[in-house]
Amino acid sequence: MKTYMFLVITIILLIVTIFISLIRMIIGPTVWERLLALNLISAKTILILAIYGVYKENVLLLDVAFSYGIIGFLTITLLSRLILKGGRQK
Amino acid sequence: MIYRILLFISWVYIIFGMIGIFRFSNIYSRLLTSSKIDTVAAMTILIALIFKCGFSVFSIRLILILIFIIITSPISSHVIARSAYLNGISIKKEVGK
Repeated sequence: MKTYMFLVITIILLIVTIFISLIRMIIGPTVWERLLALNLISAKTILILAIYGVYKENVLLLDVAFSYGIIGFLTITLLSRLILKGGRQK
Repeated sequence: MIYRILLFISWVYIIFGMIGIFRFSNIYSRLLTSSKIDTVAAMTILIALIFKCGFSVFSIRLILILIFIIITSPISSHVIARSAYLNGISIKKEVGK
């Protein structure tokens, strides 16, 4: 197994970014910073999945990354709609 | 070889994205940095991976993910900014900070 050092370093950097946006999520005074941090984390997770899929030469992980992207995008839009209009009405 | 250079560039974008989140004052400028830099970093990494994989089953899926991220990432930032604006966060720059 040829080791791809650059891919491993990128994954580590992305994990650090996720922790930092987690801190941003905790600190964030308003709800929208938290939404922003969620958006960042889901984008970074797609990247980590894609890189890991390429690193391990496993094609299925790329499909997982794509579907996770769809779910992350839907989460953001529905959450912001919930914040805007609030739930509970028909 | 090309993908190493591209990955190195994407590290720079990621670091700037991290700095951008904490340095800016109000929500809108943070949204600006995150949506822009985050999308560019994602595109750079995915293009680097496409270069690495060449013509194979991987590249088709990577191109699909690339197109998906190019379309959805700005839209999700727009949705957040819109909900922040409609709920009354003012855009005007605060004096001082």
